[in-house]
Amino acid sequence: MLYGYALLSPALVLFLVFIAGPLLAAIGLSFYSWDLFSAREFVGLQNYRDLGQDDTARQAIRNSFVFAFGSIVLHLGLGLLLALAVNRPMHGALRYFLRTAYFFPLLISWASVSLIWLYALNPNFGFFNYYLQQLGFQPPNWLVDKTWAMAALLGVDLWRTLGFTFIILLAGLQGVPRSLYEAAMLDGAGPARRFVTITVPMISPTLFFALILNFIGAFQIFEPMFIMTNGGPADSTRSLVQHIFETGFRSFEMGYASAMAIVVFVVIMIATLIQFGLGRSWVHYD
Amino acid sequence: MIERTDRSRARSRPCLGRLPDWTLNLGLALLGLLMLAPVFWVFITSILTTDDAFNLPPVWLPSRTTFAHYREVFDLLPFWTMVGNSLKISGIITLGAVATSTLAAYAFARLRFPGRDLLFVLLLSALMVPQQVTVIPTFILIRNLGLLDTHEAIYLPAIINVFGIFLLRQFFLSIPRELEDSARLDGAGHLRILLQIIVPLSAPAISALAIFVFQAAWNDFFWPNLFLTSPEKMTLPLGLVSLKGQYGGGSALALFAAMSMVALPILVLFAFTQRFLTESIATTGLKG
Repeated sequence: MLYGYALLSPALVLFLVFIAGPLLAAIGLSFYSWDLFSAREFVGLQNYRDLGQDDTARQAIRNSFVFAFGSIVLHLGLGLLLALAVNRPMHGALRYFLRTAYFFPLLISWASVSLIWLYALNPNFGFFNYYLQQLGFQPPNWLVDKTWAMAALLGVDLWRTLGFTFIILLAGLQGVPRSLYEAAMLDGAGPARRFVTITVPMISPTLFFALILNFIGAFQIFEPMFIMTNGGPADSTRSLVQHIFETGFRSFEMGYASAMAIVVFVVIMIATLIQFGLGRSWVHYD
Repeated sequence: MIERTDRSRARSRPCLGRLPDWTLNLGLALLGLLMLAPVFWVFITSILTTDDAFNLPPVWLPSRTTFAHYREVFDLLPFWTMVGNSLKISGIITLGAVATSTLAAYAFARLRFPGRDLLFVLLLSALMVPQQVTVIPTFILIRNLGLLDTHEAIYLPAIINVFGIFLLRQFFLSIPRELEDSARLDGAGHLRILLQIIVPLSAPAISALAIFVFQAAWNDFFWPNLFLTSPEKMTLPLGLVSLKGQYGGGSALALFAAMSMVALPILVLFAFTQRFLTESIATTGLKG
């Protein structure tokens, strides 16, 4: 019986030290004012009250939600379209090429991806705007334009991680028994009807999984903002992670940064629980 | 006969309008090429002369090439030290995460002990704790342990992998217990059953986990950026970002050369392991 605990102990010790412990410590710290060097001062809920007045923090929260929402819609929508398009009879080599080409950016680190696009989007020597101009568009200077910076980051995120959603949705589609479609066609169901009544319910667990992963991933994103725009212009791409990072390690407001982190945690928890609750009505496990 | 099955397949595909197949295939292939283009651009630019690089229209098929920027990388960065650091850190994290996850997963899947299910739920809930929530206390902890600017600061917190425990537990549960019975009759202990029966049977799941953990550690920027300050301790992603110099200058080309050197081996490896990798992502995805 003790054997179970013995096997578990390495994981459990690390879990307590590096996940559970820090989580509890963050809750505790959020009631203090502390610059990491002088003595801690207990301030109660003051950090949370300050958050309500902090325009930058609110902007960061809004940005993170905009990014998460845009990212989820783009990934699930385009990922599903691509998966449907590739899930047809086609030459094996073509399928191999498509899977490779759509998926491979995921293997390039966020640091490299951010640097590549920082240069590719540069209006003076990047290829992106050059070809848009050749096609007759008047592209903005993406990363320094308040209106377009977030859209550009969403695009870069799409380029890097669309392959993940695509691959798991493709696997989901391949798991749908063909006989279901054949039976539906015998009943005279058209393509749209087959999509709504067979495809979506059959792959709903996969869709749900992709939704949750995209949501959690989008809220943790840090590198592209940090490297490409540094949160600018005018905080329009400042994300929550970056804001917490800078509040903690540039302004050394450890308590305040912790309060922010706890708010993020609670928001993510609630959003995840809501998604699980809503999921019950549309996700079908067998 | 074959023809008929093919046709019925084509008809039975889910809805996608009435486009002829070849136009759709062409569009998909073009999109694939567009996905590849930025990385191809980096490779090509890295071997252009300083005069040719960053001119518009972009050069896709260079007439003059040079490896000067690759040599420059070694002047600007302790490149091989960084490769060594990245390999060391990612290797330790991968071995550690696979080992702790395997042991814990076996305990959850095969052993009975009080509080087992409660512990499992507790561990799983950690999946919902994002890194920004633990970053401040983790930093303070690492500082108090005197581990700032050390590799331990990066790999110790990363060895615990809750997703890995969950993944392997699900896989172990799908292995029939009968396979272990004869070994148990022969008096084999849990550790022998785990190492000689369960682990070999779980090779696909374990290697998939190892690949994911390794590439996540190899690509990580957030934690090394927080903890590592000396250039000779830095990992590759940090080194790359430190090269982010003046636009159009020589160091930008060195950066392109460095990115190519980091990405090329991974992409070549991926071209050969694509099927295994993507399929294991797909199955682990479905099991999550």
